Amino acid sequence: MKPCRPSRSRLALYLVIHYIRWMGSRAMTEPAFFILTALVDAPRHGYGIVADVAELSRGRVQLKIGSLYGALDRLVGDGLVELDREEAWQGRLRRYYRLTERGRDALAAEAQRLAANARLASTRLSGRRNPITGPAPS
Amino acid sequence: MSRLEERYRLVLRLLPAAYRQQWEDDMVAAFLDSMDNDDPETAAYAADYGRPSLAEVASIVSLAVRLRLGGPDAPARSYAWGQAVRLATLMAALTHAVMVTASVAVALWLSGKIAWLPAPAPAWALTPSGSIWHTAWNLAGYAWLPAYIALVLGHRRVAQAVALLAIVPPAVTTAVEQAATDVPLSVTPWALRLTDVVLVLAMAVFHRDAPPVPRRPWLLAIPIGILLVPLPLFAIQATSQAPRLLDWPGLSCAIVAAAIAVHLAGRTPRQPARTLPWSLALTLLAATTLALRIVTLPDYIDQAQRTTLVTIAATEVIAVLTMALPLARRAIRALRRLPPIPADAQWPTTRTE
Repeated sequence: MKPCRPSRSRLALYLVIHYIRWMGSRAMTEPAFFILTALVDAPRHGYGIVADVAELSRGRVQLKIGSLYGALDRLVGDGLVELDREEAWQGRLRRYYRLTERGRDALAAEAQRLAANARLASTRLSGRRNPITGPAPS
Repeated sequence: MSRLEERYRLVLRLLPAAYRQQWEDDMVAAFLDSMDNDDPETAAYAADYGRPSLAEVASIVSLAVRLRLGGPDAPARSYAWGQAVRLATLMAALTHAVMVTASVAVALWLSGKIAWLPAPAPAWALTPSGSIWHTAWNLAGYAWLPAYIALVLGHRRVAQAVALLAIVPPAVTTAVEQAATDVPLSVTPWALRLTDVVLVLAMAVFHRDAPPVPRRPWLLAIPIGILLVPLPLFAIQATSQAPRLLDWPGLSCAIVAAAIAVHLAGRTPRQPARTLPWSLALTLLAATTLALRIVTLPDYIDQAQRTTLVTIAATEVIAVLTMALPLARRAIRALRRLPPIPADAQWPTTRTE
């Protein structure tokens, strides 16, 4: 009797499933979230995104140029952001980026996920019994 | 082009050519925008004398590491190099973890804490230090074990921070000893600390795009490693004088030569691309151990047994070269067979979510 060995196709299927689960388990990073948010109302160029992200996050997320383009090349590759136009300004060529429909959907989904998490934490906190004053008023 | 722009473009040369072709001008424009100033005099001064800040340079270095030593989505050559550096880092950290774990067991035995084992010879017995701080300071080296486990479990930053705990106290002790006492100046401790610092920096290759480390084999490697290296070494040292002439660089040479021999014996000749990351990783480790062996040779000059020690060191160098040169040749050949990255190609990107 031949020993039972997993077939190559089954092994490949296992690897593919494992890979997809690993990729799917990764949440959107905070810089990527803020970059997409910065592009919601209007297309922006590189430094415009940096400035808007700093403002949106109240100075907490200060993107360096390497970090911005590290995130931006992924967003463009994923089809969440695309080139809007190029403009010459003070002898420099500025590229403006805009949010795609897919990017808008991805941002909306991430915002819903974060809001659901925040609601969950708030609900737990408001229902928590205070050792001195008793349960929080509903 | 201003001097500031020249300096920034010089930093950007760290990035792969294909990536620069696509993003360089845009990055330069964004960087120069960020350095703009309303005051023309300040702006002119910055254009001539300004430099990219350390944080800006660090962000480019980090991006370069992610692109050049990439994950599964990167071009084949970047992925091969990325896997090679990841494997080399894991093997180096594993060696530290194995040696410190074994040394904890040996120290416990020598200090009489393991009652069920036969008592050590009186000449071997350890007397515990009176100061708890002194003990804690000496125990810092054992941080390699949690650092390795953190790395395998995917907590790269924790691993780097914990590994620093293992590096800094011995470095301070060496500096104080060499500055304040009559201990002769020695290259070895500094060369070892330097390789440890390189190891901590190399942990950066376990970035977001890197595939997760297979936990079971790398965790199982700790007990297997203890059985294979420190345990037999200690047993031989306890019964013979000869292995005491083997210092850490020498032991590293022996381990790397043995690992390459096993790799060459077990590799599948028809699938060189599959074993390429291991071949590259072992070549990197061989180069590091050779460098470590050679730069620590001057420490033998003051030793009474210097002729014997230099002969042993030469044997170690020859052993590593004999193993590493054919391996490096095969690895380079296999690397050349991988498709190159065309300079005008769009750089492959990875998922955001």
